[in-house]
Amino acid sequence: MNMAEHLHQALVGLLAVGGAFFCLVAALGVVRLPDALTRMHASSKAGALGCGMVLVAVALFFPGIDVLARAIAAILFLLLSTPVAAHMIGRAIYASEPPDSVIAPYDELRGSADDPAVRMRQAHAKGAEKHAAQPPSAKIRTGDVT
Amino acid sequence: MSGEISPFLSWCLVLALIMLFMAFALTVLRVLRGPTKGDRIVAIDLFGVLAVAFIALFTLYQSRIVFLDAAIALALVAFFGTVAYARLMEKQAAEKLAPTREAENEHG
Amino acid sequence: MTLFLFNFLLAIAWMAFNADFSLTGFVAGFALGHLVLWLARPLYPGQRYFHVLWGSFGYILWLVKEIWVSSWKVARSVLGFGPAVRPAVVAVPLDVRTDMEITLLASSVTLTPGTLSLDVSPDRRTLYVHTMFGEDAATVRDDIKLAMERRILELLR
Repeated sequence: MNMAEHLHQALVGLLAVGGAFFCLVAALGVVRLPDALTRMHASSKAGALGCGMVLVAVALFFPGIDVLARAIAAILFLLLSTPVAAHMIGRAIYASEPPDSVIAPYDELRGSADDPAVRMRQAHAKGAEKHAAQPPSAKIRTGDVT
Repeated sequence: MSGEISPFLSWCLVLALIMLFMAFALTVLRVLRGPTKGDRIVAIDLFGVLAVAFIALFTLYQSRIVFLDAAIALALVAFFGTVAYARLMEKQAAEKLAPTREAENEHG
Repeated sequence: MTLFLFNFLLAIAWMAFNADFSLTGFVAGFALGHLVLWLARPLYPGQRYFHVLWGSFGYILWLVKEIWVSSWKVARSVLGFGPAVRPAVVAVPLDVRTDMEITLLASSVTLTPGTLSLDVSPDRRTLYVHTMFGEDAATVRDDIKLAMERRILELLR
């Protein structure tokens, strides 16, 4: 092996170790940080970064263009899906947490008109009103006609 | 690819695999301990990402490209699992907030 | 959009002339076609193709840099020698309006460590952001509005 190959493999190795380091940081964050939403900060982002770095290492290690294309596709999908998943989990955690438990000392959403709990309650109240205004028997009758 | 791996690279790969195993262990710890459902879902989501990284590392370790396809497939599928869990959790929260749900069910 | 199709056709033509139907051939053809179209810019005034293409390229580079820089911040906090963790939920008033712009902003906010977009208000005027380092709500708001939202507006308008 010549010098260039050694350098190339050293770069791949450093990228792999760096990626694994960020994966480990993500796992440590999930264990050490105080509450579920803060844990998500570590898991979703450090995890995606670590995984992306390992994939870049794979793309650099193998010479073919097909490996490069596949690694880029995997990284792009990771970058697209991570925020969506994080957003959904975050909202679910926030909505299911009881309002009196301290998730953030400073909170501009809790109790405001946009609070998911408040919105769910309002949507439910609206649904109940609709039911009260329109007796279920009427619904069945229209269903028979059509 | 010559298939030849320099000692430095193989050393790096072993180190990276050890770090990943530690990460797996910590994540499983959080899944087992996690006081709330949200903590467990976060940890399971991270577990999926770690598995993708592990397969990618294994591709390097074995110098065989075929494993990369498994990593891509797993990255696609793990995401859907997380979304499904999050939806379930939101649905349960909505049901908990709606005490007159049973009355509604009687109507419908 | 028409220019993008032109560029695409030029790339295919390049691949056909060289009988080289590989990714390298496509990239080379696309780059050459792009150069030709760029040289002929005065022919089609008022189009935004180059602006959007180069802008999104620059935006991705900037985002990768941001992810890298602030990942270190979160990593240091997790390992115990960074800034203290003070979770907070901050309301960020939005200037972006369309679905595309809001999605791009919310995803970028989530990808930059330290901030996580929680929810968009039903009237789409406010983005609620959960942050790890929320000592000062105004700083968080400025970080998102001045750095990220300004770039997105420049890119898409």
